[in-house]
Amino acid sequence: MEAQVTHDPIAAPQVPPGSLRNVILALLLLVVALCVVLAGWAGWFVARDRAVILNQLWGGAVIEGVVLIQGVVAIVLGATGAGADDPLLFWGYFATTLVILPVAAAWAFAERTKWSSVVLLVASLTVAFLEWRLWQIWMGA
Amino acid sequence: MADLDGGMMARPTAGRRTGRGFGRVLVTVYGILAFAALGRSSYELVVKFGEAPVAYTLSTLAAVVYVVATFALAIGTPAWRVTAWITVGIEAVGVLTIGALSLADAEAFGESTVWSGFGQGYGYVPLVLPFVGLWWLWRTSRSPSEERTA
Repeated sequence: MEAQVTHDPIAAPQVPPGSLRNVILALLLLVVALCVVLAGWAGWFVARDRAVILNQLWGGAVIEGVVLIQGVVAIVLGATGAGADDPLLFWGYFATTLVILPVAAAWAFAERTKWSSVVLLVASLTVAFLEWRLWQIWMGA
Repeated sequence: MADLDGGMMARPTAGRRTGRGFGRVLVTVYGILAFAALGRSSYELVVKFGEAPVAYTLSTLAAVVYVVATFALAIGTPAWRVTAWITVGIEAVGVLTIGALSLADAEAFGESTVWSGFGQGYGYVPLVLPFVGLWWLWRTSRSPSEERTA
């Protein structure tokens, strides 16, 4: 805020980030929504005492796909100089976000009890939380 | 409660594997925390180690302990079970000690660690997890036959 008052040239708007930033936000909300759906699905399976099924893993794969698109958009924004304030922190969190679901899915699928559904539930909620952290880091919080 | 065993009751093995049944969930949460702690400490070591060497060394130590505990609980053979007892025990002592010290003197470590404020920055998961881990190790340490005679 102070930068605007003093008209610091460095703080002037950079290359047209507006629309791409909205894309980032839209993708983020999409991932969070998908994670909540997958978590709800897994939670329902826990209540019904059922193990994770292959269709749920496909659901996780869809989330991974959207996260990958986020990564591409973030790279493009970074290349135009409108990336995260702290790229190392951002990409560290991004890598974690990307890795959690596949690892958790493999770990869960080897267990053929309802506990595998709890694993998927925990992993989905973690990814949703990490998306929120990614947004905070992106906004420089 | 029998459901906690995830169907392992039927197996006549001495000492059940720690990575099965409820243990799947425990290892998952451990893995996530290990990832979080490892990411945090790597970042701190690379970017700003000089600012608070004590806190960042502690973070690194905590991260390594979480990673080893995760693998030990996941593998769960008798030899790894010993490793799990030790690492989970270190976490319990660590979070209580560092948590208390950080509350007593906010400046004690210069910067916060995973264990500061009893793991406040991580939703107190670092405080709860080691005790759940110790309980699980204790619970799975007896073979089903022993449980029947007890």
